[in-house]
Amino acid sequence: MTAPERLSVVLRDGLALVRRFVRARPGAFALAVGGATVFASAIVLAAVVVGRVTDDLIIPVLDGEAALGSRWVGGVLLITGVAVYKAAGITLRRTFAGWLQGRTQADLRYQLIDHQMRLRLAWFRRQSTGDLMAVSETDGRQATYILAPLPFGTGSLLLLLASIGIISWIDSLLGGITLVGLGGIIAIDLRGSWRTFEAFQAVQHSRGLVSGIAHESFDGALTVKALGREEYETERLARASEKLRDDIIEVNRLWAFYGAFIESFPAVGTVVLLMVGALRLKGGSLTAGELVTVTYLLSLLAIPMRLMGWVFWDLAHSLAGWRRVDTVLSERDFLVHGDLAADPQPTGAAVEGAAVGFAYSPGEVILSGVELEIPPSRTVAVVGPTGSGKSTLAMLLVRLWDPDSGAITLDGRDLRRFARAELPREVAFVPQEAFLFNEDVRGNITLGMPLPEEQIEAALRLAAADEFVAALPQGMGTQLGERGTTLSGGQRQRVALARALARRPRLLVLDDATSAVDPSVEADILRGLREADLPSTVVVVAYRPSSIALADTVIYLDGGRVVAHGRHGELLATEPGYARLLQAYEEDAAARQAERGRGTEGGAS
Amino acid sequence: MTAAKPEGAPLEARLALRRALREAPAVLRGFPLTLVLMLAGTGMQIVVPIAIQQIVDGEILAAGGVNTGGVLRLGVLALAGIVAAAAARRLGLVRMLRASATGLSDLRVTTFRHLHRLSILHTESERRGALVSRVTSDMTTIQDFMDFGGVAMILGSLQVLLAVGLMTWYRWQLSLLVVGGVAMYGVLLAWFQRILARAHDRVRVRVADSLAAVGEAISGLPIVRAYGAEDATLERVRRALERQFRAEFRANRLGAFLFSSAELFAGLITAAVIGVGVWLGPGRGVTAGSLLAFLFLVNLLVEPVQMVVETLDLVQSAGAGVRRILGVLDTPVDVPDPVDGVDLPTGSLDVDFAGIRFRYPTGPDVLSELTVSIPDGTRVAVVGETGSGKTTFAKLVTRLLDPTEGWVIIGGVPLNRVRFASLRRRVAFVPQEGFLFDASVGANVRYGRPEAGDDEVRAAFEELGLADWLAQLPAGLATPVGERGGQLSVGERQLVALVRAWISDPDLLVLDEATSAVDPALEVRLRRAMERLTAGRTSITVAHRLSTAEAADEVLVFEKGRLVERGRHEDLLAAGGPYAALHADWAAGTASL
Repeated sequence: MTAPERLSVVLRDGLALVRRFVRARPGAFALAVGGATVFASAIVLAAVVVGRVTDDLIIPVLDGEAALGSRWVGGVLLITGVAVYKAAGITLRRTFAGWLQGRTQADLRYQLIDHQMRLRLAWFRRQSTGDLMAVSETDGRQATYILAPLPFGTGSLLLLLASIGIISWIDSLLGGITLVGLGGIIAIDLRGSWRTFEAFQAVQHSRGLVSGIAHESFDGALTVKALGREEYETERLARASEKLRDDIIEVNRLWAFYGAFIESFPAVGTVVLLMVGALRLKGGSLTAGELVTVTYLLSLLAIPMRLMGWVFWDLAHSLAGWRRVDTVLSERDFLVHGDLAADPQPTGAAVEGAAVGFAYSPGEVILSGVELEIPPSRTVAVVGPTGSGKSTLAMLLVRLWDPDSGAITLDGRDLRRFARAELPREVAFVPQEAFLFNEDVRGNITLGMPLPEEQIEAALRLAAADEFVAALPQGMGTQLGERGTTLSGGQRQRVALARALARRPRLLVLDDATSAVDPSVEADILRGLREADLPSTVVVVAYRPSSIALADTVIYLDGGRVVAHGRHGELLATEPGYARLLQAYEEDAAARQAERGRGTEGGAS
Repeated sequence: MTAAKPEGAPLEARLALRRALREAPAVLRGFPLTLVLMLAGTGMQIVVPIAIQQIVDGEILAAGGVNTGGVLRLGVLALAGIVAAAAARRLGLVRMLRASATGLSDLRVTTFRHLHRLSILHTESERRGALVSRVTSDMTTIQDFMDFGGVAMILGSLQVLLAVGLMTWYRWQLSLLVVGGVAMYGVLLAWFQRILARAHDRVRVRVADSLAAVGEAISGLPIVRAYGAEDATLERVRRALERQFRAEFRANRLGAFLFSSAELFAGLITAAVIGVGVWLGPGRGVTAGSLLAFLFLVNLLVEPVQMVVETLDLVQSAGAGVRRILGVLDTPVDVPDPVDGVDLPTGSLDVDFAGIRFRYPTGPDVLSELTVSIPDGTRVAVVGETGSGKTTFAKLVTRLLDPTEGWVIIGGVPLNRVRFASLRRRVAFVPQEGFLFDASVGANVRYGRPEAGDDEVRAAFEELGLADWLAQLPAGLATPVGERGGQLSVGERQLVALVRAWISDPDLLVLDEATSAVDPALEVRLRRAMERLTAGRTSITVAHRLSTAEAADEVLVFEKGRLVERGRHEDLLAAGGPYAALHADWAAGTASL
């Protein structure tokens, strides 16, 4: 663990956080503080009223000095009136404090997701989704904890000042004692919240770990089960959970320790004031009613005092949550866009790459010196062994990543010059693993873009998805569930393909986009694509000769370099690696035929 | 809904919490001593009114004026009591919070374990975010309740008991008035709670929704970006957050109303006590000191009621959290590890399917009338169109699912009688997805056999002919693969997943499209290596690349959930049936022009 932060730093950052939240929604905060002030003044009023009632009603009547008569009416009405006033204050404060807290949480979460949507993918490689979700949900909630007790705390501060004022006005010695006592208790409170702050951060961190493990473990549930590692996973979680438990216990231990001072303060104060007050009473400088007011007031301070304690406590809590939120919000690795608008013409675009080099992390070179030249409306296949950089190249073509060196251009325009959301108006990408959203089929295809119905239907037909989509319970309106789990892998791929085709892009990049589709269906799709006369330049990452047959030329990639670029037939003849890759199945089948032949002969002889 | 459930929500919340306590016994460990400490601690609150009554009646208003010595003596006594009580309270609190944190950690682990015991039917149909929240945010709601509400409730009820006892001792008539008032208010609260409970349940649902929306936006970011759908996605998240906010604010408003009603109630009780107190008068033994003590006691009584009201939202959200967790724990394990199960016989394993029918809980038959036996040592390929039931077949062989009807028998033992430990060691399943954990390549392979050393892991890569792939990784076995293996290509992930299954040295190997994203040359090489290595062992390979079928001893052809053809590749080809048709499509696709 790092060295504890200084109290002044915690306070400074905590106050800065409060200022940030309050500034964003000053109206609600003012109303909540107003409610708290009403409440505080009601408490003071209640004590004053009880003191008056003691002097004017209780002592005279019960000591038999005065007859009851209708004296009681005034006292009862006064006390009831104060209660109504107090209740109104509470409603006002809680309503607006709650609104402020909820609103701020929603704001924060939206800021977080909005911010993350603008960051480079490189940043996400270092994060876990479960952890990022925890930042949004748990830390976002935690960061605003301070907003619930803050108006009350502000009100309570006024109440404390007023109490000291009233007590001093009644008796300056009692006032002085109260002031010293309150000062001491606030000092203890501050120290307590500072000490718990570090412990809080540890809790937050452990919570993130638990969430991350759970997310990964459920994500890979099939693998966990298939390998029978449920217990191992449970132990992994148990370790994180126990760490979290210990961190929580440490926070609670500190809380209980400092809490003991704060909670016993009103009781100690009341008794001390009573003792000193009794002596003053003897001296005649105080009436019994005034003494009751003073002690009653102090006993009423029990709840505000406790909640005041929560203000500092929650400030530390909030700051711990905010630090994690802020880590994300201050990440500046944005994807930088230019200001170029799309030029959505109904023709294919020329794609060029010059000396393109790329590595996900330094030293791990994926592509180097890649030269591309794809004339408009051509179809090019990218072929290469597993791990040769095909998918990376595909992602560079649609600017999911930027090359480390060199540039990729579309009709001579560097991809980086396009404004946000402009490039997708000209290019479409279908990844190897189809990602579907928890929406209906139509929503998954349009992704918010207004597309003519017949264009969607044509795309579904072309992707051979029209029949199974029509057979779904609500057709195109059928909800697909998270990640489209209600569909098979092949069906997911076909919907993803339709999503790209429906846009009639100028550049279509397919990354082995039919790998999970049945051969017969795939044949239909390929035939369709060939005949559809799309206004697109097509780059298709593929292994199957059938997909390659679509292509005018083939780029053969190996070890992150373009080894050759030419027609399929030429490459077969000139590139032995390419031929091995493409003819693997045929050669294997032939070899087996031969083996079996030998086997039968051997058996016959 | 309300009419059908006369018992009401508060009772449910309470019952649910009680059930949770049973599931996490550590919460109650050492509870008696904790309770004693707390009881002693609460005494602190009672000292003050007693001291007031004694000092006012005995010393201040006593005949002969204020007795200084008496005041001091009583005061010092009271202070000592308060300090001792604070110490006891603190000790009790720490013990209680420690117990609750421990109990909850246990409950989290229990829930997690149970979730993993449930079959893939559950884990695949639930949203990931929802599953994660079972062991995170749902647990946090209980933790918050335990830390604040639970403490407040226990201390509060102790305080109420002491206050009522003391009141009754002072003046039973007034005490009756106060207790009657509290009881009436309690009934009102119970009724109101139901509304609050519904509001909180709605909040939980909205939270899960917006969490899912956020998670989807993050994990789907590449697609969102590639399609310029940032604004639409943000709008979706914003709407989910807005709905969450509205639900939360509604619950919060109800809470505000509830809390202010408690305050109003306290004022009314105070007024009534003074009114009735002076009316009863000294004739019925009401002294000024005891009536003043009563005002303090009313505060003592009302304060815990307020604290409880304050934490009612916590009770409700904890109740909702508990209900969701119990929902998990109460879900019977649909594919259970048999009690006193048996081990699979040693050596190669044969597989028998007898009268198998399978359907998902809500859906038509996925497999029906399936009876097939696979002799040991056979290499079987399973082919068929998407949705023909091939993957379900693979999941039944590995008992990731249990059949709706019929028996799966492996090595002569009904599969549901085989101990999981034995089954998972002997039967390996490699799904298409190639899921990797966020760890190194080596750690991912060792996931299949934890005791394997680096040399064995390297040897496994070598056996499958993947030594050169391993060699080109920047840090060899120590190369990190990233979340879900995202730093490797899809095909590479499948390689690691394959080695991971391979290293466990299984006697029955079930591959479900396990090399679908690997290049053909490598796939052929892998298949060759595995054939050599698995000679004499049984293997079942689901594939849509029919080259696998060409190499198999036997091909099973599925169509719409039924086994329609079986036999050797050549024979099936000659028969001109469904397989021949599939193969024609495949051949047309692979012929290298």
